[in-house]
Parts: sequence; structure tokens; C-alpha cells
Amino acid sequence: MAVAAARELGEESGLRRQRRLGRQASPGKPRRPKAGEQIAAWTFLTPGVALIMLFGVAPVIWSAVMSFQRNNLFSPNTPFVGLANYRQMLHDPIVGQAIEHTIVYTALFVPGTMLVGLFLGVAMNRPLKFISVYRTAAYATIAISTISEALVFIWLFDPSYGIVNYLFSLVHIPQQQFLSSPSEALYVIVIMTIWGWTGFAVVVYLAALQGIPQVLTEAAAIDGAGRWATFRRITLPLLSPASLFLAVWLTINALQLFDEVYFSTSGGPLNSTTVLVYYLYEQAFGGANFNFGYASAIAYFLFIVIIVITAIQFRAGRRFVHYRS
Amino acid sequence: MAPAALPARRRLRLPFSPWHLVLIPATIVLIFPFIWLLITSIETPSEALHFPPVLIPHRIDFENYPAALHAAPFGRFFLNSAVVAVTTVVANLVFCSLAGYAFARYRFLGRGLLFGLCMTTLMVPFQVTMIPQYLITKWLGVNLLGWAGLNQIGSLIVPNAATAFGIFFLRQFFRTLPIEYEEAARVDGAHRLTVLWRIVLPLSGPALSTLAALTFVDSWNSFLWPLIAINKTSEMTLPLGLATFQSAHTTEWTLLMAGNVMSLIPMMIIFFAAQRYFVRSVAATGLSGI
Amino acid sequence: MRRHWLGAAMASALVAFGLAACGTGTPNSTAGGLQIWEGYTGAEAKAFTHLLDVWNKAHPTEKVTYLYVDNDDSLPKLLTAVKGGSQPDIAYVYGSWAPNVAQIPQVVNLTKVVQRPGVNWDDFWVGERDVATVKGEVIGIPALVDNLAVVYNKALFTAAGLQPPSPNWTWNQFVADAKKLTIPAKKQFGTAYVTPGSEDTVWHWEALLWEAGGAILNSSNTKAAFDSPAGLKSLETLRTMAVTDKSMYLDPTDSEYANLFNSGRIGMLVTGPWDLSGFPSVKYGVQIMPSFPGTSGGHQTISGPDNWVIFNNGSKRVAAAEKFLLWMTATPQATYFSLHTGDLPIRKSVEDSPGFLQKMDQALPEVDTFITNLGNVKQARPQIPTYPKVSTILGQMIVSVLLGKSQPQAALANAAQQVNQALASGSN
Repeated sequence: MAVAAARELGEESGLRRQRRLGRQASPGKPRRPKAGEQIAAWTFLTPGVALIMLFGVAPVIWSAVMSFQRNNLFSPNTPFVGLANYRQMLHDPIVGQAIEHTIVYTALFVPGTMLVGLFLGVAMNRPLKFISVYRTAAYATIAISTISEALVFIWLFDPSYGIVNYLFSLVHIPQQQFLSSPSEALYVIVIMTIWGWTGFAVVVYLAALQGIPQVLTEAAAIDGAGRWATFRRITLPLLSPASLFLAVWLTINALQLFDEVYFSTSGGPLNSTTVLVYYLYEQAFGGANFNFGYASAIAYFLFIVIIVITAIQFRAGRRFVHYRS
Repeated sequence: MAPAALPARRRLRLPFSPWHLVLIPATIVLIFPFIWLLITSIETPSEALHFPPVLIPHRIDFENYPAALHAAPFGRFFLNSAVVAVTTVVANLVFCSLAGYAFARYRFLGRGLLFGLCMTTLMVPFQVTMIPQYLITKWLGVNLLGWAGLNQIGSLIVPNAATAFGIFFLRQFFRTLPIEYEEAARVDGAHRLTVLWRIVLPLSGPALSTLAALTFVDSWNSFLWPLIAINKTSEMTLPLGLATFQSAHTTEWTLLMAGNVMSLIPMMIIFFAAQRYFVRSVAATGLSGI
Repeated sequence: MRRHWLGAAMASALVAFGLAACGTGTPNSTAGGLQIWEGYTGAEAKAFTHLLDVWNKAHPTEKVTYLYVDNDDSLPKLLTAVKGGSQPDIAYVYGSWAPNVAQIPQVVNLTKVVQRPGVNWDDFWVGERDVATVKGEVIGIPALVDNLAVVYNKALFTAAGLQPPSPNWTWNQFVADAKKLTIPAKKQFGTAYVTPGSEDTVWHWEALLWEAGGAILNSSNTKAAFDSPAGLKSLETLRTMAVTDKSMYLDPTDSEYANLFNSGRIGMLVTGPWDLSGFPSVKYGVQIMPSFPGTSGGHQTISGPDNWVIFNNGSKRVAAAEKFLLWMTATPQATYFSLHTGDLPIRKSVEDSPGFLQKMDQALPEVDTFITNLGNVKQARPQIPTYPKVSTILGQMIVSVLLGKSQPQAALANAAQQVNQALASGSN
């Protein structure tokens, strides 16, 4: 109800203004693209998009070409081999494992980070004492390098000497092997990366929360809505653009997980933390095979997966995301 | 409408907000690695080479900081990183605002396709695109823009002067702004650029400062591209400089941690300063309409 | 207020772009100096730059400048540079990459160069020469040599009532000692093993395989030869410690084990001389590897030499690079480098020079054992481009046995089958 009130407020002021100028307002009617608009659009777009085309899209297309070659980066001989690299992927058992690990990881990491970020963002969106300190602490996790992050978590989760097992021993939970255990290592990496990305999620949600005028939440309180109801009916929907952004961006990054695996488990133990990008790096540079054509093919397979998932997310976004206008 | 009666429940009165009880442990978990970093950076090498790490050192050694600074031309690395980061941030703010606004508000032929194309650059891992990007940068340096070629900090700026991330982020944000003001200004006869400059951007403080902070961190911590593109010690950036403390078999932990701490300081300063701009005053939104 | 902010932003963007342009000046000039890429830090960096200074003063027309490239990242950087035609003149290359690096067309063939009078190619250790040679062609000059031996904590041995290892000790004694040195209550382990599954995991085991009289591949490098009684014995030995006795700390990070040893939590380590400077808090001793009695392997060890590789950027630069490297690796300079870094001598004549062993021991205690151990290096790993694939398979095999996920016999057979397939399909 408060949302309707807000809409009235907004439209009223616009309408009032339009009438003052003697013109009719017609909000809600789709505007036809005009020539002037096209020109303006392309002028605005050109610098940024040109850079992205040259340094982003061109390499992406180039890599597609490489995926159809046999290329070991050492010799200049790079013959075209058609779909051979892709066929090799079908028969490579590790690719299957890597896909599974990547999906499991993403499915845990994305919602996990969004929830933690939302919770902390809401908590930090208050004029509390020391709020600057809390916020800076959240942002700080963005600044830390992945090497340092990995080192700390390796220590925290060390089976013999780490703090987590120590705490477990205090409450009589049996000692775990964590990063040395093929069944647990991936989950430790989920925790490590949620920690690493919390700051980012908090920053995004805070920026979005700042954009929610207090008028709306106050109106809801006046209407008698409880805090939780206000949150669910007003705040969350108004945060949906930020949530979509986070969901898309976190998913794109999760599917390309590399650094934390590289610096902590090297894909082990026994390939249990091998995710797709780590595997393709191993194929290209990791002293394993120097098989750059194969690595490009894996990258392209991942690329298609990411496009599909992102498109699904955007489509879902059209139904669930509310932009104000 | 009369306010609903508060539920008759006894409420616990704390001298401070209960949110502190959540935020304090959360903060400790979040900054724990920094504490470890800081402590290791002031330990002596023999205590730093311990596992589990020594958190309460017996001897404190601030010598690590000057030693780290002298081990390599860190002043120069710092300057290079700063120039690259600041330029990249400003370039991104300008280019991504323009492009993001166009994607958010204008209808034009090929809008969806172009946006999708830009997004694809986020979806292929850099390990695969870095070789083509290297070749393109080399070609650019030789044929078009001498200062943006390999081996110079220009090559660290130009490929990242606009990113699909920035465009995506600002597009999402711009779409949340109520369009009435922009429409009204257009009706008043304002040029599109003026609309962006005078109406949209002032309302976008949080988003712009967020993008600035994130872009700054990305640029400051960037390692793989500078590693490949730069062959001159004088053009190296800070992360490359820090790598000089790690050789194949040994790591000079104390120097590395000291270097890491020094590298973090500018970012923390920027965050602390910028987070004031994350807060937008309600008056500035103009949404009260009165 | 905001208006000015945006205007200022755009202005500073232009200024910054301009500054970047001015600051970096003209595009690359084709300078006369040679460029060498290496990953030396600390003492090695100091010694190296000193030698560079000496050379540059004596040869002002053939100056050499260096670029620090951290070794682990040097391969992507090198390969990208080669693809783009911007390779250096000389680069430090891990020995394990030699068979693949040899395929780069710009790599210079040094076979005739090392036969020149005064170079004394045979003065380099056999392990080094083997790694610098691919398919009969010499593609690099040895830059570093090392080997594996046992470093042990003297205090822990005394506390457990054990005699320190003797030069003719056996693996049975090693296993027994490790068991006695393991005290779960104190979180103390007898020994440790690195388990990232990479070549580091593999080469530690290969030393045991050779000592048990086994071989990795057959003589023509076409089939696996490690699934033999020797392979079984060596794998069983490791498994006993890891799974049965639980006396072996498994380190998947490949770096914790050193700090743990320095913290007095590990009794013995099989490692190389590079780790010695990381043990300032422990009184350690060094002993050569134990042997398997009744086999032909003796106290053999394994070595991991690295190479300087020359890239062809024009005949003048190649000639200068050759001259520089031959000077750099000649006995006087190699002696200087070893004495100032604790790195093992790359030439036998360096080891034989009077007072060398004593001086090295003063700088880095017990390193003389590693130096004399160089005589125990009898062979090198297969120098074939598919070795990295073989290494991955072996790494998985070892880790799965150490984690108790598979039995040695089955693991060996499985790995042998995979290796045969990899060798048959050849390199890419």
C-alpha cells in the first residue's frame, strides 16, 4: 500500500509539472525510437564500446579460432583440427568432474554470498556508532589479495593446527581433514570465497539501500506493517535490481573460479577441487600439457554455459525485478 | 490513520543497539586476515617461519618495512600503480556513465545485441584471452598509440579504460532512477548530455563512488596482465614488485607481508574516505516531490 | 558543486592520459643491451647482480640488464612473449620444461658451443647435462643444481632416544625412526610429504623408486616401467608411514611443511638445500637418503637442475649471450655464486676447489652433505615432451595411495595403463 502511495507521489509531481508547462503527459506509453535518439545513443556509446570491442570482443573471437586448432604454444605449427578438441572434451573424465565441481560450487557460493551480503548490508545501513569502522572492514575484504586470503584459510582449516578443528574439539565435533579431504575441500573453498566476496555484496547492497527513500519505509510503518513485512514487501523488491546484478555478476565469477584453487589446493586432493578454469589453465600452462587449443575449447564450452545461465537470469529478472520509472 | 498499538511485550533495553552484537563478531571474522598480515609483517624472520603462525611475537621488528622498500624500487612501483589506477578509474567513470546511460535509457537499433556482446567479454577467462590481448596491444603500440604499447604503463590503462562490468553496473543503477526528471528536462529543451550531467549523475553518487572504489581495487591488485605486458623494471606495478619476494623455493615472508600492508594502505584510505559519498542525503533525491 | 566535480573529473582524465603519455615517452627503442629474465630473490639476487656488474664494467658494449620474473609465472610470460616476437635474449627455465621449450624455434642450439675449448662440458654434473640435452641437442646451460637428502631435527631425535641417521642407513630404519618420532599428543610427526599432486609430489617418490632399483619408463620411453617390484616396494614404504603408522604429515600446500619443521613439529624431511635457510629456529642435521638393502639402487638421489636458455634475436646478440653465459657459468663465477648463496656448485671443479666445502658449511651449516651427495645423482627423469602428462598421472597415483584411497598394487597397475595410453598418443 505504501508502494502505491509512493507511485502517486511521483506521478503527481510529474503530472503537475507537465500541466504547468501546458503539455500533456503520457507516462507509460512506449516511445518510438527517433533518429536523434539513435545518433545520441551511438555518440554516448562509442568510446566505451570501441575499447571493449578492441580489447575484449576481439580476443574472445580470436580464442574461438584457437579452440579449433592444435596449439601447444611452443611450436609455430598450429594446424586446424576442426572439432577434435571438443570431441576430446567429451572423452575426458576430468572435464566431467570439473563441470560437476563448478556447478556445485556456484550453487552454494552465489546464494550464500548474497544472503550474507544482504544481511550485513542491512545491518550496516544504520547510523550506528562506529558504522564507518564496520563498513570499512567489509570493504577491506575486497582489497585483500587472493594469495593472502588463501594462506589464512589454509591455516584456519589445517587439520592438525588450525583454529576450526580446535573449536570443533571444544564442542566435541570430530576432527575433520578439510583441505586434505577429497570430500570436504570444495566446501572449504566455498567458505573461503564467500568470505572474500562478502565485502563486494555489502557494498552493492549498501549503495542500493541508500537509494530507497525513507519516505516509503516510514509510510509502511505508519500503516502498521511490522519490520519483517516492510522488509519483504518494500525493501526487497526495491533491492531487486541490485540483487539481479549481484546474482549475474557472482555467477559469472563463480563459474570462472581460479585464484583460490590455484593458491590453496592446486585442484586437489585427487581433483576434488578442480573446476573448469583451473583445469584449462593446467592444460595450457600448468606444466601438464601445454595444450592451448584444448584449453580454448574448454573455455568456449564454459562461455556457452555462462551465456545461457546469464540469459536465464535476465529473463527471470524481467519477471521479478522492479525498476522504478 | 491511527497507529497500530505496539504488541504488549517486554522489550530488553540495551545501552547500545543490538546490531552491534552482530556487527562486532562479523567484523572480527572479516578483518582477521589483516590482523595476521599485520602481525607477520612486524615479526622477525625466524618467528615468521612458524606454523601455526605466531600471533603474539616475542620480538617486534619494524625493520621489515624499510627493508622491503629498499629491496626493490617500490617508490616507482607505487607511483606507477597510482597513475594507472587513478587514470583507469576516471576513464571508467566517464566512458561507462555515457555507455551505461545509453543502454539504460535510449532505444536504438541493436541495443540488446550490443549489450550482450559487451557482456560476453566477462565470460571468457583471462588466461585464454590474454595472448590475443597481448598481440593486439603490441600492434596498437607499434601502429597507432606509441604510449599505449607494450612495456609502458599506458598498456595497463587503455585495455581497461572501459569495462563491461562498469557499463552493466551503471546501467542497472540508472534504470532504478525515476525517469520523470529526465523526461521533464528533455521536455524543457535540455540536451541529452546536459540531462546526464546535471540530473542523472548528481543522483548517482553511491553508484559512481562504488564503481570508482571497485575499479580502483581491481586496477591496484591486477597482476597477470602487468606481468605479461611489462618487461621494464621501471614500469612495473606494485603487485609485480611484491612478487620479487617470492622465488621458486623460498618466500621472504616478513618482507612480503610488509609489502602487502603498505600496498593495502592507499586502498583503505580511499574506502574510508569514499564511504561518506556512499550515503546520499534524502533531500538530494528530490523524491519527496514537495 | 556536483557540476564542478564532474568537470574536474573529465579534466583530470585528460591530464592523466597526457601524463601517462609524457611519462613513458617514446615507443620501445631497439637498445643494444641484452635482456635476461630470471627469478632470483634475496641472497641469489644480490650475488647475481654483483656478477652482472662485473661483466658490464668489463664489457661496456655487451651490457646485460635483468628483469625479475617470478619463476612460477615465467612460463605464461615467456610463451606469450615468444608468440608476440618479444622474447628476451636469455631466460631461466625450469629443467622440467626443457623438452617442450626445445620445440620453440627461437631457442638456440648450443651443442657446438659447449664443445668449445675451455668450456669443459663434462665438468657439469651428469644430471645437469642430461636435463640440458633434448634429443641429442644441447638447448641450455646449467643454471642451478640440487638434490634430495634427509634433513632431521637433532633435538627431537635426542628426545626420542634415537641415534642420528648414519650414512649407510636403510628405509626400514627411516620408517622405524619416523614412528618413534610421532607423538600425537604433541601434534608432532615423524616426517612429512607434499601432496599437491604436482611434480613435487612425484619426484620425491621417484628417488625411492630408483633406490629400489626401478625405472620410470623403459629405455626407449615408450612404456611404463614403474609397475614393478621396485615400484611396489617404494610405494608401500610411503604408505606404511602415511596410512598405517600415521607418522607422515600430508601437506597439500607444498609450503607448510617447512614452517612446521622450523617450529619443531616434524622429525625428518626429505628435501633439498633450498629449504635450509628456512630453518633458523632448529638445530638440524643432514644425511644422505637411506637405501633399500638388497637392491642395486644404493643411496641414489634425484636432482632437479634448471637451465639458462638463449633465444635468437639476431646473430650478434646470440654471440654476446653465449659469451656472457659461458663466462657466468665458468668456475670462478660459479664459485662466487655458490659461496654467496649456499646454492650447490654447478661444476665439479667448483666443489674440488680448496677450502670450498668448509666455507660453504660455515655459511650454511650441513650443506656439504648436499654437495657430496651430487655424486649420488646417477640418472635424470625422462626428457620427453609427454613427461608432464606422465607426472600428472603419477601424482594422482601417489596422493590416492597416501590418502588411503587405493592399494599400491592396484594403483600402480592403473597408473601404468594410463601412462601407456598417454605415451602412445604422443605429444600434441
